[in-house]
Amino acid sequence: MDSLQEHGGKSVINRGGRLSFFFDNEKFLGPIMIAPAVIYVLALVGYPLILAFAYSLSDITVGSVDYNFVGLSTFRSIIEEPEFRIALKNTILFTFVSMAIVVVLAKILALLLVKDFKGKFFVRALILMPYVAPISLGVIGWLWMLDSIYSPINWLLQRTGLFGPDFWPMWLGTPGLAMASIITVHVWRMLPLAMIIMLAGLASIPKDIQDAALVDGAGYFRRLFQVTIPMMLPIMLVAVLFGIVFTATDIIIILVLTRGGPYDSTQVLVSQAFYIGIDAGDLAGGAATALFLFPLLLAVAILMLKIARRSEVT
Amino acid sequence: MAFSTEGLRKKTIGVITRRQFIKTSLVGAAALGAGELVFPRYGAARQKELKMLQWVHFVPGYDKWFRDTYIREWGEKNNTKVILDTIGLSGLNARAAAEVSARKGHDLFMFLWPKPDMEHQVIDHSEIYQECEKNVGKPIDLAIRSTYNPRTKKYYGFSDSFVPDPVNYRKDLWDSVGMFPNTWDDVRIGGAKIKKKHNVPVGIGLANEIDTNMAMRAIMYAFGSSVQDAAGNPVLNSKETLEAVKFVKALYNECMTPEVFTWDASANNRFMISGKGSLALNAISITRTAEKTAPEIAKKIWLAKACKGPVRRMGLEHVMDVYVIWKFADNIEGAKKFLVDYISDFRTAFLASEFYNFPCWPGTVPDLKKLVSYDKKADPPTKYAVLEDVLDWATNVGYPGYANAAIDEIFSTWIISTMFARAASGMMSPQDAINAADRKVKKIFKKWQKKGVV
Repeated sequence: MDSLQEHGGKSVINRGGRLSFFFDNEKFLGPIMIAPAVIYVLALVGYPLILAFAYSLSDITVGSVDYNFVGLSTFRSIIEEPEFRIALKNTILFTFVSMAIVVVLAKILALLLVKDFKGKFFVRALILMPYVAPISLGVIGWLWMLDSIYSPINWLLQRTGLFGPDFWPMWLGTPGLAMASIITVHVWRMLPLAMIIMLAGLASIPKDIQDAALVDGAGYFRRLFQVTIPMMLPIMLVAVLFGIVFTATDIIIILVLTRGGPYDSTQVLVSQAFYIGIDAGDLAGGAATALFLFPLLLAVAILMLKIARRSEVT
Repeated sequence: MAFSTEGLRKKTIGVITRRQFIKTSLVGAAALGAGELVFPRYGAARQKELKMLQWVHFVPGYDKWFRDTYIREWGEKNNTKVILDTIGLSGLNARAAAEVSARKGHDLFMFLWPKPDMEHQVIDHSEIYQECEKNVGKPIDLAIRSTYNPRTKKYYGFSDSFVPDPVNYRKDLWDSVGMFPNTWDDVRIGGAKIKKKHNVPVGIGLANEIDTNMAMRAIMYAFGSSVQDAAGNPVLNSKETLEAVKFVKALYNECMTPEVFTWDASANNRFMISGKGSLALNAISITRTAEKTAPEIAKKIWLAKACKGPVRRMGLEHVMDVYVIWKFADNIEGAKKFLVDYISDFRTAFLASEFYNFPCWPGTVPDLKKLVSYDKKADPPTKYAVLEDVLDWATNVGYPGYANAAIDEIFSTWIISTMFARAASGMMSPQDAINAADRKVKKIFKKWQKKGVV
């Protein structure tokens, strides 16, 4: 029979079994409930990370059956390669240029969409589309748009007279255009999320502060730079940091659009790690290449945690 | 704190409580697990299972025949449920890596190029070779060189077939300039004339993908250059390689467009069938696809043997079917039997692939020359006759030696494709591009030699 008992000031429902002690005691139930998340993180993040460090210090390949410790020689060997330096440079370029464009465009879009106008719902839905659609399908769509033979972009621009009859750019065939295409597609994909974060930030600014600035005679740009942006800075920072993590670790756009080409000029660290480690089977080289992202991502993670702690309500 | 069990009871009426949920889940899971033990399918009558993975064939009719007819009938005869999974060719290496890491996967795994780096993870396939030899006679040298490691004396794979890689050219355009692509010089001169006259380029890939890998090696071999010598020593940095790289640079400048840097495994087909290309190196999937979807253009695309270079006429196989059986496969015996039986029935496979899959066991298709010399579906019907002596001008990756783990890593990291592309684009001089590639090649050879498999 169920009964209510008092144990040291805490209420426990005793249903007669030993199990009830565990299921109804917060001391035990709490850890049990959180255990799946902890196990998940340890198994799918912690273990692979440790494995990556272990692999990078060996000469292991996909087909290996033994582990030979080789110290830091894999790292030394990778740093010597010009392809690694290109990938590192591209990772930095891709991440920071994409994020700069995303932040500026997201801010502009958020400022436009915070206003009331006819068809606002429809416009918002359209802008959200790239984020809702599966990314691989979206990028395959872009691959067709940028196709060397059938590109509808080229066809349209030629028909409208913006391109001459003999001008047919190979978007993915020259290093500059290929990197520009990759950044464009990434911006297209990241913009909706950044815009939503910005929109939430804008909505959280108390209206009376804006009104006070207006009464004090502050113009649009003064309010933008001295009121709106400073007040949105913490949330913008979160958007940027998330964006950096997503961008620096993104592989799908490069994998689908260029596979690192033309002649390895659009390779980034993640795609390089995939091609070396998985496609070519050099697990040690792949792990070492991927681990070069670790310091960058660690710094971003620490920064994000600091921001999160600062905004904690105590 | 006031607490009412009555209130709690009321709240949980009609919904499941946490306790009930956990109990139900545990009982359910236990029952499911016990089910297999309590009600086993009866010993001898229990059907075996054979799991296979291979690529999505470029001739859709082959996959249909293989899935709906061949494996179904083989499964019925052998009391085996055959499960066939197919994936795109670019996903094969990643999938294999995942299966090896998990030590779980398919009983039969098909690669499209030799995978000697997996030697320690696969069984020795010599028994299958011996059994097939008893049934249908000897295999071709190309199959042995793509699946055997002379250093360890182990067959690390089994090859049923290879795919020829002839020249696909637009006869109307080549006729218009009065030329035929017989030699690489013809391709360069004729291609330039066609580009000038019709604004239609040559399309030989210069990208990180399999067709480029094969095409660039074909040019190297024709120019007397190679990645390794017959004994397996790296010899990339040579005057022959320099000539080959200089040739490709000229070929690109005179006959091609930057489109070739965007090449992928189906680009040859799109390029030729769109009518916007004058020549490509590809399997017969271009003409086979065109025969069904664009018969007008199919008539204009003809085939020629691999082009002759200054040293020899030599091409590669377009792809090389290499089946492997993992050491950790559940049904090793079933997989071996499947391969032996498949070889015995290979003539049907050759016909189902519409001459795409050429036999590595010539005894299986004794009338091959007759079959390819006249094909009703082709226009003209003699179009495929050019393939009858393909073994005289096709060789393996790793020529003049055997395919080995170093050759495979060089192949899979696109070192040769990148070398040619960098020189062709002008990013590097031909010699600098060779030096950069040679440094990597030597490093890879050293690594595998240290491991004792090369």
